[in-house]
Amino acid sequence: MFEKIKLEDLSKENILAYGEFYKGELNSSSLEILSPLKEIAQTLNKKLILVSLIGSLENIKDWEEIKKSLADEVWFVINEELKDFREDLYTEVLVKIVKFSQPYGFFFPATKIGMSLAPRVAGALQVGLCAHVNNLEVKDNQIIMARPTYGENIIAKLISKSIPIMATISLGAFGIKYGEKEPSIKEIIFPEDFVWKSKLKIRRFAPSKKKPTKLSTAKVIVAGGRGLKNKETFQKLFELANLLGAEVGATRPVCYEGWVEEERMIGISGVTVRPKVYIGFGISGALQHTVGMENSEFIIAVNTDKEAPLVKIANLALIGDAGKILELLLKNLSK
Amino acid sequence: MMLKYPFTEEQNTLIDLVTQIGEEYIKPYALKWDEEETYDERPIKALADADLFGIIIPQEYGGLGWGSFEMCLAVEKLSYYCAGITTIYAASFLGSYPIILFGNEEQKKKYLPEIAKGKKICAFSLTEPQAGSDAFAIKTIAKKEKDYYILNGMKHFITNGGIADIYIVIAMTDPAKGARGASAFIVEKNDPGFSVGKKEKKLGLRASVTTELFFNDCKIPKDRLLGKEGMGFIIALKTLDFGRCGVGAQALGIAQAAMEVSLKHATSRIQFGQPIYNFQAVSHTFAEMAIKIEAARALVYNATKYIDSGAKDISGISSIVKCFASDVAMWVTERAIQMMGGFGYMRDYPVQKYFRDAKCLQIYEGTNEIQRNIIARELIKYYK
Amino acid sequence: MEKIIVCIKGVPKPGSIKVDPETHTLKRESMELILNPNDRPALEMALRLKNTYNTEVVVISMGPPNVIPLLKYTYALGADQIILLSDRAFAGSDTLATSYVLAKAIEKLSPFSLVLMGLKSIDGETAQVPPETASLLGIPSLTNVKDLFMERGKWIAIREMDYGEEEIEVTPPIVASVSPLAFDYIRPPSLKRLLEVKTKEPLICQVKDLNLDPQRLGLQGSPTQVIEVFEKKIETKGLVLEGSPEELVEKLIEILKDKGLIKF
Repeated sequence: MFEKIKLEDLSKENILAYGEFYKGELNSSSLEILSPLKEIAQTLNKKLILVSLIGSLENIKDWEEIKKSLADEVWFVINEELKDFREDLYTEVLVKIVKFSQPYGFFFPATKIGMSLAPRVAGALQVGLCAHVNNLEVKDNQIIMARPTYGENIIAKLISKSIPIMATISLGAFGIKYGEKEPSIKEIIFPEDFVWKSKLKIRRFAPSKKKPTKLSTAKVIVAGGRGLKNKETFQKLFELANLLGAEVGATRPVCYEGWVEEERMIGISGVTVRPKVYIGFGISGALQHTVGMENSEFIIAVNTDKEAPLVKIANLALIGDAGKILELLLKNLSK
Repeated sequence: MMLKYPFTEEQNTLIDLVTQIGEEYIKPYALKWDEEETYDERPIKALADADLFGIIIPQEYGGLGWGSFEMCLAVEKLSYYCAGITTIYAASFLGSYPIILFGNEEQKKKYLPEIAKGKKICAFSLTEPQAGSDAFAIKTIAKKEKDYYILNGMKHFITNGGIADIYIVIAMTDPAKGARGASAFIVEKNDPGFSVGKKEKKLGLRASVTTELFFNDCKIPKDRLLGKEGMGFIIALKTLDFGRCGVGAQALGIAQAAMEVSLKHATSRIQFGQPIYNFQAVSHTFAEMAIKIEAARALVYNATKYIDSGAKDISGISSIVKCFASDVAMWVTERAIQMMGGFGYMRDYPVQKYFRDAKCLQIYEGTNEIQRNIIARELIKYYK
Repeated sequence: MEKIIVCIKGVPKPGSIKVDPETHTLKRESMELILNPNDRPALEMALRLKNTYNTEVVVISMGPPNVIPLLKYTYALGADQIILLSDRAFAGSDTLATSYVLAKAIEKLSPFSLVLMGLKSIDGETAQVPPETASLLGIPSLTNVKDLFMERGKWIAIREMDYGEEEIEVTPPIVASVSPLAFDYIRPPSLKRLLEVKTKEPLICQVKDLNLDPQRLGLQGSPTQVIEVFEKKIETKGLVLEGSPEELVEKLIEILKDKGLIKF
């Protein structure tokens, strides 16, 4: 069906992006990361190549998304043993590809799979890996990556001195853009003697009962932090979300407290959001969190502290007890 | 604290550990447990894993072999975080004292190691509906039948009922002999004929569990008798002599917490253009709190050291400790609510919980009226 | 069962961060360090396995001497052996250099059945060291593990990934990073062991003890480098309103209507 290509013949020194598949669908985060990477590739005069490992071509459902993507080429590796994600085998395959195509950069989305796989690949190649990058640019022919770090109000700019330059890219940090030209799709043929074996055996898989949150694409977000004081009050955000057609977000501390699942965490190691309206209840706005939502069109902060960072960046700040205001708002809206 | 006490390195390690447990396992949940009146076994598990149930258990049985002073330090620091959880903890000590003081070697070997590890919780079971202050009016009978005792009757208001594994039960083996006719028994939770009644709904100490106990032809082997027949009340009263300081320590923790919370409020609450602490009615109240708490603490610490020195005549002093400290806690918590005004009355704030918790300390382990009886009785022994 | 190794990290106590102005890395030796909170579930898992399978738990950490109290703390939790990997040459290590040192130390401790680590540290938050270390050791890694037990000589791991929960069987040894939400109850240290460990010192290993290639250590061995750090400046942007809750809610509803979020 597609052009078959041997490892030796792969085009060299390009920018690779990992394409994560699940049940035949390409994870949107893999498409998101193509946006900044395309610019990088063009500036450096290289190709942008999406690399995916799958069990079989029949499974793939969204060919449209692949064809519309910004990638110049798409490389598939197809083998029954690749049907499920198993990090040791996936690493072996990707390392083989890197050894032959000697990419200049190799980037992964910061999904749980990406965060499991990229470090293994970097370790095997003995190269540097940057995590949760939310900004990429080229300066003097060098890729500069940026991320907030050290838990406080500090942004760090990083480079990697080894090739390929590797990083995991923050979820939701970039929007999905589409390309004008369809990528050429190739299937990589591995040598006969390649061992398709993983030490991991998946005995059982229970798909997530909760629907994946649509946080990164939500137009309206109501988010809660420690200022809501307890889980019961935090949960009221779901009622508000229902009334406003919004998604519920949270800060890191309240996820760790168990008030809500970690998928709802907005921030550097969670999801980056860019809604039209963002309302933060009882959120002080530590950098961890604000980098995840500061590009919202209209920010409303409800907090008792006038000096809170979120209050300072908000378009509208209401100084008061977040829990009380939330409850009163719900009461008034349901009338 | 204006009067600072010198602690040994070991005592400091104990204090730091108890504080860590309070901060991590109790502080985030105390108000919730109080509001919902639920029993959460996690802080108890933490205290067990931290070896804190073994403070007063002798080393040869797996405990730390320390004394009343260290036990009271732990109780004081813990009740700062929640008097309810501390009641479960301290009541277990109360229930283990009879075995420590009067158990024979087999009994000590059988029970104390697991108590020290916190694997088995104890409950001291004396009170009955018609026998509260008048403890001698108990009616639960223990009838000897060959190699067993058969118990019939009931107890009520028993702390740790239902969550304890070991119950020290005072029952009449010879009703004709009156006060000399009672005996103390070790009843285990799975003994046939033993059952636990409903959980009481309390004003305070709501994180702890208080229930009735029922004995319906409860059959226990005769080796469960503590000491000899007839020693029941001696064992009970000696146990209470040791337990009273724990209540004093518990009172210190509650009073300290109440003072700190209300003081923080008073120094930041602006009315009439200044913090209310500037007004003498308020600052003098806090001065009074400080006076009483320092005095109570000095009393608890000195009394426990006296007990640990091996003193025999501890009834009077332990009653003084329990009576004074619990009255201080009640006074301080009531004033703390007043100093916080409307906020003090709201259940979102902890000071009302301290007030409700403190009340029980004037009642259990011998009401403060009974304590005064004991003190008066002991007093005249010194002045003949 | 062969020993279980736990890797812990000392992280700056929030509010006490000190960054070296030249290398832009943390000055760990001059900060107050606390045990990485995410390491506690990893330690808890190790200690539960120790109880169940009667095996030894060895805790190692790469860091400056002020990590020693943290190692002693893990001894008080129940660890059997505590080891500090400390050398000036390690300063400024990125995750690759760190994984290299850990892998070498772990190799020296062979045989072992399991290496446990927290999911990620709260300072760097990369979550990279566990899989990277496993890769260097040439053994399988599993992240986000919630439960772990042995069956007929193989590890059975339950882990939560983005798409659902997986039950995976794998032959030891492996590296597993533990989900922070794995346990409802995490044990405190034991008083007896806290008192015991006062007189114990951890084994301290330096470069010479571990047979390390100096090119792969510290800043030299760290391909990723921070070239610049800057503080994010925040200026007040918009309208700040105070008032009674009723007044504030009224204003909020007005704005929500204005934005078309409420149809009235």
